[in-house]
Amino acid sequence: MLASLSAELLKLRKRPATWVLALVWLAVVLVFGYLFFYLISSFPTGGLPEDQRAQQEALGEQLRRGLLPENLLENLFVNGTFGTGGAIALILGALAAGSEYGWGTLKTALTQRPGRLAFLLGKMLALAVFLLLFVLLGLAAGAAGSYAVALLEDAAVKWPPLEDFARAVGMGFLILAVWAYLGFALATLFRGTALAIGLGLAWSLAVESTLTLLPVENDAYETFRSFLLGENTASLGSYFGSAPQGFGVPEPLVEPERAAATLAAYTVVFVVVAALSFRGRDVT
Amino acid sequence: MNQAPPVETRGLTKRYGSVTAVENLNLTVRRGEVYGFLGPNGAGKTTTLRMLLGLVRPTAGTARVLGEEPGSAASLEGVGALVESPAFYPYLSGRDNLRMMARYAGVGRERVEEALRTVELSERAKDRFKKYSLGMKQRLGVAAALLKDPELLILDEPTNGLDPKGMADMRELIKRLGRGERTVLLSSHLLGEVEQVCDRVGVIRGGRLVAEGTVAELRERTGLLVRAEPLREAAEIARRISGVEEVEVTDGLLRLSTDPDRAAEINRKLVSAGLEVSELRPAERSLEEVFLELTGEEGTV
Repeated sequence: MLASLSAELLKLRKRPATWVLALVWLAVVLVFGYLFFYLISSFPTGGLPEDQRAQQEALGEQLRRGLLPENLLENLFVNGTFGTGGAIALILGALAAGSEYGWGTLKTALTQRPGRLAFLLGKMLALAVFLLLFVLLGLAAGAAGSYAVALLEDAAVKWPPLEDFARAVGMGFLILAVWAYLGFALATLFRGTALAIGLGLAWSLAVESTLTLLPVENDAYETFRSFLLGENTASLGSYFGSAPQGFGVPEPLVEPERAAATLAAYTVVFVVVAALSFRGRDVT
Repeated sequence: MNQAPPVETRGLTKRYGSVTAVENLNLTVRRGEVYGFLGPNGAGKTTTLRMLLGLVRPTAGTARVLGEEPGSAASLEGVGALVESPAFYPYLSGRDNLRMMARYAGVGRERVEEALRTVELSERAKDRFKKYSLGMKQRLGVAAALLKDPELLILDEPTNGLDPKGMADMRELIKRLGRGERTVLLSSHLLGEVEQVCDRVGVIRGGRLVAEGTVAELRERTGLLVRAEPLREAAEIARRISGVEEVEVTDGLLRLSTDPDRAAEINRKLVSAGLEVSELRPAERSLEEVFLELTGEEGTV
C-alpha cells in the first residue's frame, strides 16, 4: 500500500488541476474571507442620515475587528470560509477517483499488481495528505489576510493560542475530508468525474442550502436537518464562536462535538462505500 | 519458474445482461509460444483478456494464469499487459508514467529505463504523454507491460491505428519479445499480423473458440496443384486417376481434390502419359479464406 501511496502522491503533485484548486482555495480565503468584508466594512458613510451612519460605522468597526489576527479562526470557521472549501475539496476528491475512469488508466495501473484495495487506500491516503496541505494553506492565507488587515488598521497583532490552531487543523481537515470523500465515493459509484461533481455541488450548494433555509419549525424536521453535511460543517465551526447578527448565517443546530462525530461517521461511510464499490466491480 | 500452462481456461463465460460476450471458452496457451487470439471486432477477445487479468469477473467457468487465480498478486507478478488502447496520465511524461507504474508493480527505477530502451522511447521519455503520437503511445504501453520482465505478455491489438511502418516495427518488437521462454498472448483481428508473428492461433467468433492450431494446420492442405502441358489433356488424364474426386482448371493450374500425399504417384502417372509436369504442390487455403469461413466476416488483411 505504501507503493500505491507514493504513486498517488506523485500523481496528485504533478497534476495541474490540484494546483488550480489550491489557487482557487487561496483566492476564496483571501477574497471572500478578508477582502470582501474589509471593503464592505470600509464603505464611506458620508451620504447616510446621522442615525444610520452611526449604525453603519459601528457595524463596519465590528466587521473589521472580526478580521484581525486574534479572530482568525472565528472568521475562517464561523463565517463559512471552510464550508466553501468543502466544495473545492469535493471537486478534488471527485477528480482523484473519477479521472482514472475517463483516462482508462485503471486497467494500466491495476494490471501492475498493486491490488485493488491497496490501490484505493493509497489513493485515499494521498488525498488525505493533500487535504491536510489545503487546510494549512487555508490557515496560512487567513493569517496573511488578517495580518494585512492589522497593518491597515494599525491594530495590535495578537494570534489565537496554539492549541486552537491545532484544533483548527483537525476541524478543517474533518470538514474538507467529509466533502472530499463524498466526491470520491460519488466518482467511484458513477465511474467518472462529471456526474459526481455535478451531483455533489448541486447537493451541497442547492439542496442543503434550501433545506436549511426552509421556514419549517418542527422537531422532526430539525432532527433531519441535524444530519445534513452542511449543518454539521457549520455547527463544527461554531466551536470558535458565533456568527455576527444580521449576516444571514443560521444558528448552529448541534454541538460542535456531535458535529465532529457526525462528520467523521460520514467520512467513514463514504470511504467504505467507495471501497465496496471499487472492489467488486468490473473494470471495463 | 511456474510449470503450469501460462493460460488455461475451462468453460469461461461472461454475460452482460442478455448479451453473451464470451461463451464456454476452453483455451490453453503453451509455455514459450506466441499465441494469436484471432477474431473480428466484438468477438470477445478483449473481454477474455480482461478476465485473464482479473479486471472483469467471469459469469461462469474457470481460468488460471501462470497457475494462479486471474488478477491475484501471484498471477499478476508474472504478467505484463497492454489491453486495448494504451492508457496513461496525460499530464505526466512517458518516464513519469512508467515510474508510477513501476511503484505499483514494486520494481525499481532501472526497470523503467530498460523498458524505455527496449521500446526505443528513451529519447522522448521526458515528453508528456498527451503529446505522443499513437505509435509512441503504443510503445509506451508495451514498455509498461514489460516493467516486471513478465513470463507472460498479453497484448491486445497492439498495432491498432499504427501506420504501416509502425505496424512493421511493432511486429518486429513482438517477435523479439516472444523469443526465449517468454509466452506472448497476442489478440488481433489482422490476419497478416497473426500469420507473421504467431506459433499457434485460436479463432474466436461470437464469444466462442471456433478453431485452434498452428497457422499451417488452420490453412490445411486440401489437394494438389499441378502445372502440366498440355493442360486440357492433363485434366482428362487426372480425372481418370482413381481417388481424384474433382479436377478444376484455375489460372493455368489443375486443382485436384485428393490426398496431397499422393503427389509422387500422380506425377508418375501424368509423366508416363507423356505430359510435361513442371510444378506439383499441395493446395492450401489462405488464412484469409479460413478466417472468412470460420467467422463469416469480411476479413481485415
